Amino acid sequence: MKIQRKNYLLFVFIILSIVVKAQPGPGKQAIEIALPSLSGDTLKLSSLKGKVVLLDFWASWCGPCRFSNKKLVKLYSKYKSQGFEIYSVSIDDSKGDWKKAVQKDKITWIQVNDAGGWDARTAITWNITGIPTSYLINKEGKLVGMDLEGKDLEEAVKDLLGK
Amino acid sequence: MKRMLSVVLFVFISVALHAQFTKASLQASGLTCAMCSKAVKVALEKIPFVQEVKVDIKNQQYNLVFKEGNNVDFDALSKAVEDAGFSVASLKATGNFSNVKAVKDSHAEVAGLNLHFLNGNDENLVGERTITIVDKNFLSAKAFKKYASESKHACVQTGKADDCCKKEGVAANARVYHVII
Repeated sequence: MKIQRKNYLLFVFIILSIVVKAQPGPGKQAIEIALPSLSGDTLKLSSLKGKVVLLDFWASWCGPCRFSNKKLVKLYSKYKSQGFEIYSVSIDDSKGDWKKAVQKDKITWIQVNDAGGWDARTAITWNITGIPTSYLINKEGKLVGMDLEGKDLEEAVKDLLGK
Repeated sequence: MKRMLSVVLFVFISVALHAQFTKASLQASGLTCAMCSKAVKVALEKIPFVQEVKVDIKNQQYNLVFKEGNNVDFDALSKAVEDAGFSVASLKATGNFSNVKAVKDSHAEVAGLNLHFLNGNDENLVGERTITIVDKNFLSAKAFKKYASESKHACVQTGKADDCCKKEGVAANARVYHVII
């Protein structure tokens, strides 16, 4: 009986570790992120519950990410007041480069940094294999879309905001 | 005297045996931003003789450290990068050289690899030195063409031993890496 129980616990542990390691997908609760923002204060992703959130992984040295920032500036200014937020995780090693890029791209949304590039803890937890990678999160904190761009992204944001 | 000679010989042989490429810096290129994908890093890390891969964002390159006591296979590096969907834009390898004379169009066996120097000022290479591999698949097509057109040797095109190499004892059709220093 005792051995069986041990096996059962092992089984649960294995299942849990598989679930934890799997790539975050639609319908799943967003894994918590708590990282320092530009000011140095820790900002939690879960603190944005009640808002429609675009979680965006990027770095200053990533050309396509910088291009995407330009488009996000417009989207953000349009829907910010209606309950839309962007939570950008930079995997820049250099905080200076990160801050410079934020300024240059005129980013006013939430910016946090997890130094370490591909080895950054958040990048590993979220199984990020390329940047930019983004997730759309609904008001309940569930993942509802991945790597949406342009019109598709705007439509989804509008939809989730209930407009 | 004889004893001293054998000591000297022993030291010389052990240096020669320990000749190894220890590290390299590699640049990858492709249709999309190579650094924006984790694929190249992951592919390089999977190679058995690679100990560590560090992404050097400033210089847009991957800094590799090779495992001690392992012979390095440059083709495996280029294949890994290509399997990841990119190509090698530059490969500079650093190794310990023990008295290798860098003469234009001369050959040398270093760490189990046949090298063919495409340049060199007759310098004796001793200790840690860095070479650049200029074979096809190790640089841009344009840069390769430049090296290939500057040499009259067919082995530059194929990367395989040809008449010029055989004269110096390199087996026919053996892999020959063309390098500059």
